[in-house]
Amino acid sequence: MPTLADLLSRISFLSAMPAVVGILLTGIVLVVSREWHLDVLALILQYFCVVLLLSRLTQIEVAAVKGLIGWMICMVFYLTERRAGETEQDSMDKSIEPSAQSRRWMISARASFSLLASLMTTVVAYTAALRIPLPEVPDDISLACYLLAGLGLLMAGMSQSPIRIAMGLLTFLSGFDLFFVVLEPSLAVAGLLGVVSFLVALTASFLRATELDTPAVEAESI
Amino acid sequence: MIPGAFLILVVPLAVAGIGYILGQWRRLTGLLATVTAFMMGLAIATLPLDRPVAFWGGREIAMGEAVDILGRELGFTPSARWSMAFIFFAAAGIFLVAWAVHAHSLLYSIGLGSLSLLCTALLIRPLIYAALLVEIVAILSVFALQKEGQSPSRGAIQFLTFSILALPGLLVTHWLLERYALTPNETSLLSAAAILLALSFALLLGILPFHTWVTGITRDSMPFSSTFVLTIGQSTVWFILFAFLETYPWLTTYLRHNPAVLTLGVTMSAVGGVLAAGQRRLGTLMGYAVLADTGCILVAFGIDASSSLSLMLLALLVRPIGLTLMAAGSAKLTDWGLNDSSDKLKGLGWKHPLSTGVYIVGGMSLAGMPITAGFVWRWALYRSVAVQNVGQAFLLLLSSCGVVAGLLRAATLLLDYSGKSDVPSATITFRVWEWSTTAIVVLATLGCIGVGLWPQRIAPLATQIAASFTLLVK
Repeated sequence: MPTLADLLSRISFLSAMPAVVGILLTGIVLVVSREWHLDVLALILQYFCVVLLLSRLTQIEVAAVKGLIGWMICMVFYLTERRAGETEQDSMDKSIEPSAQSRRWMISARASFSLLASLMTTVVAYTAALRIPLPEVPDDISLACYLLAGLGLLMAGMSQSPIRIAMGLLTFLSGFDLFFVVLEPSLAVAGLLGVVSFLVALTASFLRATELDTPAVEAESI
Repeated sequence: MIPGAFLILVVPLAVAGIGYILGQWRRLTGLLATVTAFMMGLAIATLPLDRPVAFWGGREIAMGEAVDILGRELGFTPSARWSMAFIFFAAAGIFLVAWAVHAHSLLYSIGLGSLSLLCTALLIRPLIYAALLVEIVAILSVFALQKEGQSPSRGAIQFLTFSILALPGLLVTHWLLERYALTPNETSLLSAAAILLALSFALLLGILPFHTWVTGITRDSMPFSSTFVLTIGQSTVWFILFAFLETYPWLTTYLRHNPAVLTLGVTMSAVGGVLAAGQRRLGTLMGYAVLADTGCILVAFGIDASSSLSLMLLALLVRPIGLTLMAAGSAKLTDWGLNDSSDKLKGLGWKHPLSTGVYIVGGMSLAGMPITAGFVWRWALYRSVAVQNVGQAFLLLLSSCGVVAGLLRAATLLLDYSGKSDVPSATITFRVWEWSTTAIVVLATLGCIGVGLWPQRIAPLATQIAASFTLLVK
């Protein structure tokens, strides 16, 4: 049976620019999409790309543990949103059907704006990686860090839903983690950063559950 | 022999767990949390550090003995001792008043757990771990801040976001300063560290322009939980900043007694005062009063005076008094008025003069008005600032007046005679203050006035705590 190191060595060709491109694409999907299935899938892939890059900077086991924490976070989001979807489906009012057409148009405008904003953030991240490269890390990883931090901030800033804000913050934290793992290779720090990420996911899940429990009238008034 | 640091870490956590299990018995949980916090504070403040003390069952407690956790040493320093004693006593006070006004039970469990983590943050070295622990506490606070059965608190989400954004700066600063210690010629490392540290602490302390979460949590979160964050949480952040400055004394020249910090403090205080004057909602007014107060603390940090540190510590000591009273009044009034919008609060003061009075006295203290606890340090601050710049002292005074104007507007609304009949009488007769609630809240109010009238009791304490920060006080 192949070990973790064997598996990673087989896909090591992905752990440079392809992983950075993967981070860019998943980041853009996270910013633009409002479909939670797609968001969770993008986050899973993003953590995979981050693990590939981490495997070049730290021990494979540490990278794998960070990836596992990330995928557990995705599981938390998946379960929360699935439960939320079921609850919302039950209480959905069929009378809002006629406005669906105009809503679709609004989403399209919002998606265009989000896409433009994420492309601009990508340009800023690329320029930052060229002009202010991060110390102690290769150039491509520096670019990945800037992309994750920029797109994560954009997502957190443009969202109102607790889960999407948490996804943005976690993307931001992934970018920082990728850089900081070189500066501070301590396992205790890596563990505490993992705890921080997991708690962010749990908090978002808690707030989403609260949102579902809120009576509709109260939610509208706020 | 039980090391003191181990007790400080384990006892609040264990009681937090018990409190969570007993969650449905709010009164019992609140009482348990209050007694635990008070006893821990008492133990930290009174037990000797240099020798073990025999305790129950023949066991000995060695308060000063260090303990190893994850290969990191948790050792007592005099400054950490007083900081921890303060946060435990302040927490006991908040828990007691929250218990009296029936606050929700998550505050107690999350609060005790947070106290344990915050104390660990004050004891642990290197400071990189302290930053991570403070971050964990900030995230946990969101659970206590969220109101039951209401939409997700935007303030709590903003608080979470700003806390996460502060983390990278704190962690990278540590690395930059370690590198600077090895290569002292590279001064660019020091300036980068100073900028990052200033930005991170500005985010954590809600300093202008990162203040939105402060008013956010006071507006739409649980009043006592936001009080906990704005007193215990913020005080610990200040103590960790002091620890940074003591550990890396080179930073002191960049950050302390800096005219830019002084100007920012004055601006923040003025903005807080002006915005407070225009508020009609109790929670938002509380937030802007805190903003003005934090601005004044920043001024104390920036002024070039020997009493600078004592003033800051005095401010941190008296802040919980005013803020807890405001939270008590606000919690009760919004509970009766169902929310704190102006139409719901109209005339409520006639039916509930005690809640109204408590809110106003707490606000006066936060504004630094005479005969209240807040006046003790504000007056000394105005005098110190006036020596250097009369204009800035005048602006600080005006910011206090702004907060008082906001309080007068709130009082006018609450005592609006035309709205008196709108108050649903059934709700009021159902929820009357019990004698124990009245007694505790009246005692807290008298305590606030007592500290203002006899400051000589509390001021030497601040000086004593300031002396424990040996490098900073110089």
